[in-house]
Amino acid sequence: MDLKDNQSPQGETARILVEFLELAITSIVFLKGVYPSGAFERRRYMNLVVQRARHPQLRDYIHSAVFGLLPFIQKGMVERAAVIFFNTDGIPVERFVFKLAVNLSYGSKVEEADLEFSLRSFLIKLSVSESLTKVLPRNYRWEITTYFRSLPEASANKDVEQWIPTDTRQWEQPPLLTPIKSMSSEPLCVQLYIEHPSLSEPKPQNGEV
Amino acid sequence: MSMESTRSDKSAKRSFNNNRNSASSNSNSNPSNKKKKTSQKTLGVAWGSNSRSSSRSSFSNSPFSNFGSYMVEKNRKLQNQFEAEASTSSHGGSGSVKPIFDGVSIFVDGFTVPSSQELRGYMLKHGGRFENYFSRRRVTHIICSNLPDSKIKNLRSFSRGLPVVKPAWILESVAVNKLLSWVPFQLDQLANNQPKLSSFFTLKRSSVSNSASTHAPCQVNPEAEDSSLKVGTSGDTYFSEVSEPFEHRKQISRESDDLVNENSNASLVEETAGSSGKPCEVAMGIPSNIDAEDESSVKNDLQSSHYQPTALVSSNCINNQNMKGSPSSMVSEPSNQSHSTLGDPNFVENYFKNSRLHFIGTWRNRYRKRFHSLSNGFNCTSSNIKASPLKTAIMHVDMDCFFVSVVIRNHPELLDKPVAVCHSDNTKGTAEISSANYPARDYGIKAGMFVRNAKALCPHLVIFPYNFEAYEEVADQFYNVLHKHGNKVQAVSCDEAFLDVTDSEGDPQLLASKIRKEIFETTRCTASVGIAGNMLMARLATRTAKPDGQCYIPPERVDDYLSQLPIKALPGIGHVLEEKLKKQNVWTCGQLRMISKDSLQKDFGLKTGEMLWNYSRGVDNRLVGLIQESKSVGAEVNWGVRFKDLKDAQNFLSNLCKEVSLRLQGCGVEGRTFTLKIKKRRKDAEEPIKYMGHGDCENLSHSTTVPVATDDVEVLQRITKQLFGSFHLDVKEIRGVGLQVSRLESTENSKQGLERNSLKSWLASASARTEELCKNSHVAKESSNRGCEGEGDETLGQLCGNSVGLSIQMDSNTSNGAACLNEVSVLPPLCHLDMGVLKSLPPELFSELNEIYGGKLVDLIAKNKGKTENINHTLSAYSHEKIEGAMKEGQAARLSSMVFQNEIPVENKAEQHIAKEVLAVSGAESFVPASGLKKTDLIPSSLSQVDTSVLQQLPEELKVDILEHLPAHRMQVFSPNVLLDPTEIPLEALGTKTAENNSGSKDFVLDNNLWVGIPPQWVDKFKVSNCLILNILAEMYYKSGSTGNLSPILQRISSVSLHQLDAFQDGWDEAMYILCELLKQYIKLKIELDIEEIYVCFRLLRRFAMKSELFIQVYNIVSPYLQALVGENYGGNLHMSLKD
Repeated sequence: MDLKDNQSPQGETARILVEFLELAITSIVFLKGVYPSGAFERRRYMNLVVQRARHPQLRDYIHSAVFGLLPFIQKGMVERAAVIFFNTDGIPVERFVFKLAVNLSYGSKVEEADLEFSLRSFLIKLSVSESLTKVLPRNYRWEITTYFRSLPEASANKDVEQWIPTDTRQWEQPPLLTPIKSMSSEPLCVQLYIEHPSLSEPKPQNGEV
Repeated sequence: MSMESTRSDKSAKRSFNNNRNSASSNSNSNPSNKKKKTSQKTLGVAWGSNSRSSSRSSFSNSPFSNFGSYMVEKNRKLQNQFEAEASTSSHGGSGSVKPIFDGVSIFVDGFTVPSSQELRGYMLKHGGRFENYFSRRRVTHIICSNLPDSKIKNLRSFSRGLPVVKPAWILESVAVNKLLSWVPFQLDQLANNQPKLSSFFTLKRSSVSNSASTHAPCQVNPEAEDSSLKVGTSGDTYFSEVSEPFEHRKQISRESDDLVNENSNASLVEETAGSSGKPCEVAMGIPSNIDAEDESSVKNDLQSSHYQPTALVSSNCINNQNMKGSPSSMVSEPSNQSHSTLGDPNFVENYFKNSRLHFIGTWRNRYRKRFHSLSNGFNCTSSNIKASPLKTAIMHVDMDCFFVSVVIRNHPELLDKPVAVCHSDNTKGTAEISSANYPARDYGIKAGMFVRNAKALCPHLVIFPYNFEAYEEVADQFYNVLHKHGNKVQAVSCDEAFLDVTDSEGDPQLLASKIRKEIFETTRCTASVGIAGNMLMARLATRTAKPDGQCYIPPERVDDYLSQLPIKALPGIGHVLEEKLKKQNVWTCGQLRMISKDSLQKDFGLKTGEMLWNYSRGVDNRLVGLIQESKSVGAEVNWGVRFKDLKDAQNFLSNLCKEVSLRLQGCGVEGRTFTLKIKKRRKDAEEPIKYMGHGDCENLSHSTTVPVATDDVEVLQRITKQLFGSFHLDVKEIRGVGLQVSRLESTENSKQGLERNSLKSWLASASARTEELCKNSHVAKESSNRGCEGEGDETLGQLCGNSVGLSIQMDSNTSNGAACLNEVSVLPPLCHLDMGVLKSLPPELFSELNEIYGGKLVDLIAKNKGKTENINHTLSAYSHEKIEGAMKEGQAARLSSMVFQNEIPVENKAEQHIAKEVLAVSGAESFVPASGLKKTDLIPSSLSQVDTSVLQQLPEELKVDILEHLPAHRMQVFSPNVLLDPTEIPLEALGTKTAENNSGSKDFVLDNNLWVGIPPQWVDKFKVSNCLILNILAEMYYKSGSTGNLSPILQRISSVSLHQLDAFQDGWDEAMYILCELLKQYIKLKIELDIEEIYVCFRLLRRFAMKSELFIQVYNIVSPYLQALVGENYGGNLHMSLKD
């Protein structure tokens, strides 16, 4: 970490990871059909068709959210990043969780192409995992939530201020996990899984499927 | 909704998408087609869910009756789209040349680098086709970088017999602009897979002439020629390629008896082509050089036949060039008669011969070569300049009217007469004066003036032609003088240079006069010198100093000097800039200084603005000696360009390319971007005043970038031709042509890459190889001949000895020899073998020969080499440490003993292969004890007896094979290696030794490292277990590719019928216990980083549990453990619903 941000392997890893997260989150939002498909356009990334949000606000939200994470990912403070779909009561219905583990002691050069290639498989898998997900209730909303290993000191970094404590409610029971993809490499391990409320979870009143 | 309706529903959506794509294809002109498939589906669904009603309404009038017709329509549209794009994007090439990929139609499978879209672009550009959907009928080649295992195993059903080629094939074909043979570019996975030893041997034994006949196609086929030259590497794949149509071959071999006839080669080609299917397509376009090859192949001289292709290629080149040169006689008189491209086929050459600009332009390279070391030495010291606090002194030396004074130095009588230099002294006088001496300048004669006008001003003006030899001579002398007086010389031009004289002692002015005096004495031409604190001021000072004088501008006088200086005098200010400044009412540097830097930069751009600001204040931070690397190399002809027809133009272009290529080579660079500039007569422009000038022209330019930098004439010519074609011009309108090459790379850097690509280098390396092998050939030849004699089939043998091209010849010869020798066993005596040759043999060949000699070669080598040398480089690193102990030596010997068996059953081929590798080691390292030969056990009795280093070097499949063979033997010789010190044995392979020795006992699972090592410990344990299911697991470990992951193993097990497994009773508890332990340890291992893997495993397990009692129990035991760990790590439970 003494190294300059962009030169350290962690900086490099974080940069690639953040780029990936932006894509992956957009894919999830697309996958869940939050917005009409016209809100996305098809782009090519790493020789793969990906979606890109057309609406500037949507794009900005995703972009700023993940890029705000950059310094924290680099320091290994981010444990999980989740895309949470919740109903009008703020009760989550489905959560897509990225569990991240950046190897802070990794010292050699990050092979960008290799890493991207591994991350690419997430996007492929994501595009075919619709069947694993649940149909969302009407009037749901979504947000990006990040779980830190420790709370960053607000004074230390002004990036922190962008992040506000979430008021999304938690499930009372441990959720059910459906892993989608895992990738582990020396500099970085990423796992993506979906969380659904457990069957014994008290059902919310208005029509969860 | 019925099936039918949902289908058409979808197609309606699809067609909607298509429309949308084509509508937006302006912005994204490469709509992806293949990948579209998956995402389109999701797109369609998402879209459909939003607007179900609309799709329902559109369903009734959907144009497609079913999916098939929809696809037909889609393919048709895609094809139209492709053709439309192809017609716009391909270089016209004036239609004369066949595009490279003519007749090639590719289908890109999966992820490739470059992407399928780029490949599509190449196909578009070079006349190929790109199929979005696979079709056996339309596709000719499948392009992919990687194939999944399943496709490799079922290759034929995947590829339908089409070649599966790496994308590099396309790239390299584009780079050399011809369709290369795809054989060397076959997918690695296949290439590695194919040359199974078994196929190798059966092939050889089937018939002596097989290899001869099968290789004939590459010989005859012009495209595949290079591949056959490379056969050293691609030979294997070739073998395997051909091994398929095996039945046909015997027939051919019979027919190939006729081959002694010279013409029969062609018939052979037909036969082989007919039988092997693939090469026939390529082999059709047989040029006349078959005959040549034929002749050479009849000759017995091996070497000459190797060189034949080389000769052919070069003669082709010559022919090409001759063809390109106009068929009319090549007039090469450098006269003034042939003024235009019309009359003179060597116009370009002569043009540049007579061009002063060309002389100046190319002079620098000459200079750089000549004074290379000097300027280098200077560069090293240049850093000191900055550091030194001394006031710098820069000298600018400029010869006075160089081009004139050099010419008249031998005519002292003309010294004060008006003289000008001009390329012609034609009566019409429309030639331009390029340089005039001072007396002439007094008459108002300037460079660039027409001779006619100059003569009007000064009737007695004497006009001389250029004398380029003299210029070169004088320039060299000039620089010799400069380099004598300072090592910091920066050449500006042939007659102009900067010197940094800061370090020289003494007054710079004195030095200047000394230099001037010396220059005059050596060259009999005068020079002027300007001295100042920087390069800018020095140059300005020279202006004042001229002619034949010197001027020093001390720093304090800089301001005065500049204030009245017209802006035009500043370097870097040309007509345009001057006009702009004059509009702002700026005439002198003094006025220029009034303008702020910001507004200068705003008006003229950052760099120019800053330059103006600096220069007007006499600031110049450049250091002497920083020679700018040229960014582009090119040649341009704007005079005398008149073409009658296309052929003229093409001829001219190819000459221009030669010139540019020479210049590139002169500079030692290669370029990637080629820009062709054309001056085209404006519609209303009349014949220019200047004789053969270009007059009023439109300037057009096109450029293209190729993937590999080049300076090759032929490549240049081809590219230029393409570029030229893209102009679609009437050649009669062309008044000037220039070719510029940019994105330069220095030759040294790119050499390697290019070398590999070029046909010539292939030829060269191939012939080098064969040369080396040639020495050896007498052995092989002799043996093969003898073998043939034994069979009474001499002609056949001879033929195969000669007709097979290049290095493969050696392979086939020796192998034939091997085949024959097995029967006849007549060997050249051992002592006749050349040690040097033996040592340089490739390992395979060596082991083969060794086999023939019953292993004596190894001894021979070992004796000769002692213990220090290694044959096999790859193994050498290991061999030193590994084969030290006598014990190990024995093992190696035992392994190598396998080779010495002459009747090795086919199924042992794999082991034999190892043995060969081991042989290389043992041969190099140790003298094989004679006793080793007596051993008959082919398989080492346990894993620990296999040299692990060797094992690790083996290809994956072989490893699996061997390991599968091990257990049976191990039972017999249970622990013969107790004596071995366990520490000596690498842990990863043999870590199980202790456990292994007491396998069967129950307590062995208690250690916590079932998953440690490669292969993991459990594999060995399970293998020797008496539980069927455990044995299967271990077996599957190897079959699944030894990845160390459980899921592939389980996946394989799922294909075994599981309820049979429950049929055993003994050891049920044990099996269950150990399985649970295995799984638990696996979970522990993977839980943190790879929950996906665990998830997959458990879903598989659950599936097993439905069929097998054992797995139900295992699943029930491990499941809670898993969920607990998942909860611990992820705060949830794994979703294992029984829905599916």
